[in-house]
Amino acid sequence: MFKATIDAYLLKDSIETLSVLVDEARFRISPEGIAVRAVDPANVAMVSFDLATDAFEDFSGDDCELGLDLSRVTDILAVADRDDKVHMELDEDAKKLMIQIGGFSYTLSLLDPSTIRAEPRIPQLELPAEIVLNGKDLQKAVKAAEKISDHMLLGVEGENFFMEAEGDTDRVKLTMSRDQLIDIKANDTRSLFSLDYLSDIIKPASKSNEVTLHLGKDFPIKINFSIANGAGTIGYLLAPRIESD
Amino acid sequence: MGTDIGDLLLKHTVEIAELSNKVVAIDAYNTLYQFLSIIRQRDGTPLKDSSGQVTSHLSGILYRFTNLIESGVKPVFVFDGKPPEFKSGTLEKRHEIREAASAKWEDAKAQGFEEEAYKYAQASSKVTKDIIEDSTKLLELMGIPYVKAPSEGEAQAAYMVRKGDADLIGSQDYDSLLFGAPSVVRNLTITGKRKLPRKNLYVDVKPEIISLEESLEGLGVTRSQLIDIAMCIGTDYNPGLENIGPKRALKFVKEHGSIEGVLSETGKEIEELDAKKEFFMNPPITDDYELKWKKPDRAGIIDFLCKEHDFSEDRVNKALDRLEASMGGGQSTLDQWF
Repeated sequence: MFKATIDAYLLKDSIETLSVLVDEARFRISPEGIAVRAVDPANVAMVSFDLATDAFEDFSGDDCELGLDLSRVTDILAVADRDDKVHMELDEDAKKLMIQIGGFSYTLSLLDPSTIRAEPRIPQLELPAEIVLNGKDLQKAVKAAEKISDHMLLGVEGENFFMEAEGDTDRVKLTMSRDQLIDIKANDTRSLFSLDYLSDIIKPASKSNEVTLHLGKDFPIKINFSIANGAGTIGYLLAPRIESD
Repeated sequence: MGTDIGDLLLKHTVEIAELSNKVVAIDAYNTLYQFLSIIRQRDGTPLKDSSGQVTSHLSGILYRFTNLIESGVKPVFVFDGKPPEFKSGTLEKRHEIREAASAKWEDAKAQGFEEEAYKYAQASSKVTKDIIEDSTKLLELMGIPYVKAPSEGEAQAAYMVRKGDADLIGSQDYDSLLFGAPSVVRNLTITGKRKLPRKNLYVDVKPEIISLEESLEGLGVTRSQLIDIAMCIGTDYNPGLENIGPKRALKFVKEHGSIEGVLSETGKEIEELDAKKEFFMNPPITDDYELKWKKPDRAGIIDFLCKEHDFSEDRVNKALDRLEASMGGGQSTLDQWF
């Protein structure tokens, strides 16, 4: 059983955090809320998504798993105004999700969860540096980097966090000191990341005014932020590019 | 070629992106044969340079493997060594078929039957010593590793996957499963929009993966029984029993437990049965190989393909741009951090 009502913008934002990596996802429903763990087809990035019942106007659910085609959901949500309420109800027998938004009634066919890639295991990583900053700053740096390269270095030097990109001819570097950041646990380190992935992940993260990064030397980066006043938490893990000799 | 157990096996279509960062042991003979057979002009003439030498295989290796490498696949070619003696019957028969097809191709071409000509031309394809030499030279220049098997390439490739040095075998045939390959991926080099043979239809071809364990489980047989089923239908080493297709072979082997049971029940015989079964179970293999992907040698490739074999320098350079970009930067995957 699953039945819930939520603000349209919140559901849109939630779906976006997943659709930047995957086309289809398994939604694990429980009495505590909704959880998704998904990894992109190339195994380069994964997302851990948790939305507690507090994020919903009302929520009731038993343990079950729904398979959703994210682009179908995005299409449906496109008709909704920001403050519309979205009402969802599972029709278990018909394997359909009934969705009501602003006068529209949709019947969305569910995917068989077993046809969607299984939930990934999550590596346990010890990452020495931690940076907390505004998502907008992160997005600015990524946009500047995209203009000249397809990858970007993120690192910590002394007390500063830096983001740097180098193309064939040009180079850009943004350095942020402790007082421009919300917080930093400084340890010199650096890793290189593909902008293809980074810019997609930063899109939803940029809406948050508090994004936490965990960095290591040639290690995956963790990018964490929350939505719905803390009722929802999103964590990305992105594998680095290894600089070749 | 190979055994006809395909209909019995479970296949999963995958996106090419899912093969990113996977080491694929390429069945070299099978792949080169495929290139020679499909990279042709409309009347069936293969690509040739100005001195009349066939270059279809070189075109296939350069362009199609650049595409694969660009999607993140790490190929290693595995070439056949000395075939087992009991394969000579099959090899002779293939030779006869090629000769006959070659004659029919000339006829059809002379009479202007384009489709017929194409069909016979394909059947006349032959992987010669020169073609193998050219291919290994190009692979070296491109920085793609290759391995020479002591005997069957598919057996060596299966060993490399079992050992963990490769993730999958790339072949259109199923024989490597008999040699114990945990998984095989088909259609690797023909992914994308492809014309159906002898039809005016195009289909979207995607890679498909077959897992040995899953297929055995689905059929309710052991690997040894799968070998028995293949031998009932026919393999490269035996012609197969009369009037037995995949479905009946499966039923018989399950009923009688093994091919020996099937043979004694039907009063039929297979020459050197034990030796052939043993060959599938424990084929000759080697540990003498090194898997290292290097940066392509641009000047060397231009010399070889453009100067010796009349490839367009412009097109080759464009492919090399893509190859260099993908061989250089290493996107790692999350699997590496467990």
